[in-house]
Amino acid sequence: VTPPPIGLGVLAVGGALVVGVYVVAILDVATRIVVSGAPIRSVDLLLGPARRASLLLIQRRTRTERPDAALWAFAPAFLIGLAALGLSVVPLSPRLAASDPSTGFVVFAVAVGYVIVAVFLHGWSANSIMPLMGGYRFVAQALSFQIPFLLSMLATGLPAQSLAIDDIVRSQASLWNVIRQPIGLPLYLVVGVGVSFWGALALPDGEDLAGGTSAEVSGPGLLLWRAARAAMLVAIAALGASSFLGGWLGPWLPGPVWVVLKTLVLLILLVGAGHLFARVRLERFVVVAWAVLIPLALANVLVSGVSLL
Amino acid sequence: VPVFAVAGAGAREAVQDLRLRPEFLLTPTPRAANVLLLAGSPSAELENAARAAHDAMSHPRVTVRWDSPNSSGPGWSLPAALSVSADADIVGRVRALHARVLDGSFPTEGALFVDDDPVPWLGVGPFGQGGTGMTGGVPYGRPMPERADDRDGLTLDQVSVRIGPLFSSLPQGLSLAVKLQGDLVQEALPHVAAELPVPSPPGPFVRALDVPVPVAELELARARSLLRWAAEGLRIQGLSALGVRVLRLAGRIGPGDAAEIEALERTLRRTRLFGWATGGVASLGTDLLTGMGAGPVGRAAGLAEDLRLEEPAYQALGFAPVLHDGADSAARWRQRLGEAAQALSLAAAAGERTAFGEGRVESPHGRLARAEAPADRLLPLLPALLEGLDWGDAVTAVVSLDLDLEEAGAVRTAREGASA
Repeated sequence: VTPPPIGLGVLAVGGALVVGVYVVAILDVATRIVVSGAPIRSVDLLLGPARRASLLLIQRRTRTERPDAALWAFAPAFLIGLAALGLSVVPLSPRLAASDPSTGFVVFAVAVGYVIVAVFLHGWSANSIMPLMGGYRFVAQALSFQIPFLLSMLATGLPAQSLAIDDIVRSQASLWNVIRQPIGLPLYLVVGVGVSFWGALALPDGEDLAGGTSAEVSGPGLLLWRAARAAMLVAIAALGASSFLGGWLGPWLPGPVWVVLKTLVLLILLVGAGHLFARVRLERFVVVAWAVLIPLALANVLVSGVSLL
Repeated sequence: VPVFAVAGAGAREAVQDLRLRPEFLLTPTPRAANVLLLAGSPSAELENAARAAHDAMSHPRVTVRWDSPNSSGPGWSLPAALSVSADADIVGRVRALHARVLDGSFPTEGALFVDDDPVPWLGVGPFGQGGTGMTGGVPYGRPMPERADDRDGLTLDQVSVRIGPLFSSLPQGLSLAVKLQGDLVQEALPHVAAELPVPSPPGPFVRALDVPVPVAELELARARSLLRWAAEGLRIQGLSALGVRVLRLAGRIGPGDAAEIEALERTLRRTRLFGWATGGVASLGTDLLTGMGAGPVGRAAGLAEDLRLEEPAYQALGFAPVLHDGADSAARWRQRLGEAAQALSLAAAAGERTAFGEGRVESPHGRLARAEAPADRLLPLLPALLEGLDWGDAVTAVVSLDLDLEEAGAVRTAREGASA
């Protein structure tokens, strides 16, 4: 793979994120409508997110008492940057990727690792109790899911005998990882929901904290933060499609179309689940992450390794 | 339209029903709202909180007063850009105003309070803490966090805050003085916004204190009240879309809908994750609840306390209370949904029978008498119940008690009226 010139790469990833975030917003509205049993109107579905985004753009920001203004502005931008970084290593076809996917795994892991910083700063900088508690929560949550997340990604590198994401895709030519490692994808998705603090794991921004880290945010800042969360979800789904669903591999259609379709399938799963599962208790999640998810992930690595011998 | 709604007395259900309108987005905090909707009639404390909420909103912002059909108390004294009567189309009026505010043809509202520091800035110390030493002084008149041992024996900062009375996941009017360590509740003292005004006309349960009321009416009202509680609880547990579905069900419920409630109960039971959210949280055993008349809370712990057992009308219907024995939040969820379904079958079978009317009635929250409501008896349990829970569980616990402060206010006023 030869990566494109940097400007083109940035443009491509940026464009993909904007489209991806809008798709997530539409999916979210759609599930909300279906679950709540309201009549479906395509105007609400397609233009609703745009309307709400423009309202937030008109809204002026508010100030809390003595906020850490610089960090408050930085946190959402940082989170979007991390999502873009993660997305940039996902190859669209054997010869098409925004950046060199040979170190992709490591870059993605770094991006996921720094999410904890972005979310904590967002909670901390408002100088208010609910956002701060949201920040605390995410630290506990993130420390617990990062190990199973890395392990489940690592297991996909074993059959490929490489950590390059294009190699991981090629290794699935005969059999997709979703079948080869049946617990890999569910594990990856559970912790993926945690990374983008979505649905049942939206603890740092939970309803019980009146919005958590974004409780004090309004206007463009809120829009950016919501977009950043959705962007993270897109990056997670895109990598999942490559690591478990065979990326560009597929008959009839060109490779990039397959990547987009598979990403979309995972997004529908992730967003839909968000409206069907209640908020998980943090304490129980931490216990489950350490006592169940990590052993499962280790077993997954072990089984994948042994089956190679 | 992003709206922050404050429900005074008599307007709680009307405000909750706004969640059914896709044109409105009820925000959990005033920050991201442009319209402050003041409904019903407020207490002095609620008014003060609404003023603070007004100033926390982002520009462009407007205040709208919404009269509620069943409130007789004093209206809001905050200046409002628009006053909408109970029978007018609230959504249309607010949308029109909002559009004008957005395009600048209607001015945004200034602050109600002066935005200055509660205590003058002393300028001492690198962070202006106004004193000397490590944690010296009280910046802006607020003490620095105290320090206390946590459950693992570490000494950590403890933050004292007051949460409420407009906090979106507590019953409106309730505030908690909380000491928090991280998100662990060390101490929680409940406080009810004083002199909450009373809705009029009174609901069927308050009426049933004085005159016999048809069983069918009581049981339909019971099912509605329980479903409204479930809708609110689902939202707080992160299932807002499902909550809207239940709220819609509550609005159109009839005696034949028991199967639908049972289906909901099955769905919640089968998605184990909901059990994970509520299971084992805030257990209240029979030792605390016996003789308390705590309604569904007591029956969820296996106590067959129900005034309906003593009523001839219910005996004739072969009434036997639904009981669970989990005693925790999850059991209370199953209990209330079970009771809602049962209430509908009772309403269907009741015919013309009437019940109660002698000063005591079994309301959806428990034993209601002229002098006292279930919420009065449950509130004192809160400090012990919440201590040591993390904040998410504390919210789950408060929700599971279904504290109806308005009902408490109503019976108190009824007593005062009787003695006067």
